[in-house]
Amino acid sequence: MARIAGVNIPTQKRVEIALTYIHGIGSTKAKEICVKVGIPRERRTNQLTDDEIARIREAIDRSYRVEGDLRRETAMNIKRLMDLGCYRGLRHRKGLPVRGQRTHTNARTRKGPARAIAGKKRTVAPS
Amino acid sequence: MTRSVWKGPFVDGYMLKKAQGVRAGGRNEVIKTWSRRSTILPQFVGLTFGVYNGHKFLPVLVTENMIGHKFGEFSPTRTFHGHTGDRKAKRVETPA
Repeated sequence: MARIAGVNIPTQKRVEIALTYIHGIGSTKAKEICVKVGIPRERRTNQLTDDEIARIREAIDRSYRVEGDLRRETAMNIKRLMDLGCYRGLRHRKGLPVRGQRTHTNARTRKGPARAIAGKKRTVAPS
Repeated sequence: MTRSVWKGPFVDGYMLKKAQGVRAGGRNEVIKTWSRRSTILPQFVGLTFGVYNGHKFLPVLVTENMIGHKFGEFSPTRTFHGHTGDRKAKRVETPA
């Protein structure tokens, strides 16, 4: 059981994979960390020594912004846009795509599940 | 694709002169502009610009946070009043 950067407890997996369970660390950064700390690729998390865990923790603390801090930063950036009253902020407020994508169709990631429109006739598919 | 740094921020030349003029003039009057494409520079902080949105000049009071954005971002060109028959349609807030 290894606790790195707060609540993340990835076990059983190779270290470079397990580290990606931390918000803000993807495979690139995970590999960087492994190289920096000097952990071989095949090493699994449950085979790490306490010293190695401490060094991983230190490497992350020193050079990366992860988890809560990262989330806070992202939220602050979005909040800044919303308070500014600029176009991107308006899009964030309305929950629509921010970067100029079409909204006539698609955009379901931002808009959420489709809502039925009252009174709209369903077109019958030709058989 | 972001703009090359060596070019510096894009600003229509006359904006600088206008801004300087208003600064020197003392009274903080609205600078009407069609140049939505100009970057907001640190020199513009505190001034009010009327940014044209194709219909009228919307007053934009430039604050420090706005530096690096374009004027056009603060003057929406489209008005969306909700769909017909959308009974629950909230009134769209009038852009500042």
